[in-house]
Amino acid sequence: MNRNLTVKHLSDEELASRIAAGACSLFEELVSRYSARLFHFLRHRTETDQDIEDMVQETFLKAFRSIDRFNPEWKFSTWLYTIAGRSAISRHRSNKKMRSNPTAASSIPGPEEIVIQKQESQNLWEMANLLPEKEYEALWLHYAEDMSIKEIARVTKKKPVSVRVLLYRARLNLAKRIDQSAFSKKIAGTAPAKHKLSFL
Amino acid sequence: MKRRGKMFCTVYKWLISQAADSGKPVAGFVKNHTQRCDSCREFAQLCETLKAKFAQDKYAILKNYDESLSKKIISALPRERASISGRQRISRKSLARKRVLVPSLAAAFLVVAISVSIIFIAVHRSRDMGPFGHPSELVSAASPEILLVKAESPLETEYQELKKTLDTTTKFLRSYLDFHIGPQTD
Repeated sequence: MNRNLTVKHLSDEELASRIAAGACSLFEELVSRYSARLFHFLRHRTETDQDIEDMVQETFLKAFRSIDRFNPEWKFSTWLYTIAGRSAISRHRSNKKMRSNPTAASSIPGPEEIVIQKQESQNLWEMANLLPEKEYEALWLHYAEDMSIKEIARVTKKKPVSVRVLLYRARLNLAKRIDQSAFSKKIAGTAPAKHKLSFL
Repeated sequence: MKRRGKMFCTVYKWLISQAADSGKPVAGFVKNHTQRCDSCREFAQLCETLKAKFAQDKYAILKNYDESLSKKIISALPRERASISGRQRISRKSLARKRVLVPSLAAAFLVVAISVSIIFIAVHRSRDMGPFGHPSELVSAASPEILLVKAESPLETEYQELKKTLDTTTKFLRSYLDFHIGPQTD
């Protein structure tokens, strides 16, 4: 119990250093901290949830194998997301298939799914998920992982200016989508939509 | 809104986005513009609220996440650990093999180097020796009989012949070309 509490208080970087020193069981804590986050980060890369799960698993196994090469001066999240991005690229190269239309993958939803979808559409991340892949990833790294422009550039292997442009486009597209959503709600009569950004 | 103002909205939106990236407030002239332009004001409002909204919604989507994947990854870790320790065992074996190999290779190299240097010295010495061989031999064979035998040897005869030929050639060239070779005697 006491050990669990101590582990929970350790930072990612401290955990990584301890794992590199031989405390392999601590890796489970890193898995529980990051698996969901990586899952959402990689959502755009493949067609099915199973593929995303495989990619997340692959990322963790790669990280586990090369944890002794992690430099604690850097943020652990930057390192892990870099591995995830690279694994996704190599996997994409080997599979040669990409998700072309994110909404076309599912079949006709049932009533329960419709309710869930309605709830999800209230979530800004679900709306961001409809943006192009690179824009979604930049948003995720910036807002969900609180990464700076430099760190995002390092993970995505882009120049900082390109990252700024990606974020700018993502914000513009998101604003358009929110406008559309507010407009459709107004048409349907489900929302007051007095202001365009009533969504927020 | 005037048409000219709309043209610059892209620039203003870019500046608003930049401010959102750096977390700094927007410049005064951008603020003035947003007061007049609806589109830019809405964009600025969106940029201001995005961080909080995204943070709030992040926990909502992560909460819905199925934890079976974490369990699956954690269950795969012992296998990975075993394979890593197997690799470490192999590398330890190869290290032990290296420890045996390196001294024996060094010894072999030393033997080869010594024998090559011995051969080299022997060959070099035999080349440097004149008609009388090594100086120690000359000292040991200082008796007049041995010297006489050596003087009558075919090598010595040939040497004398060559010396005579060189002398006559020099004399001929001196008389024919009227120039002098060697020190002046006249």
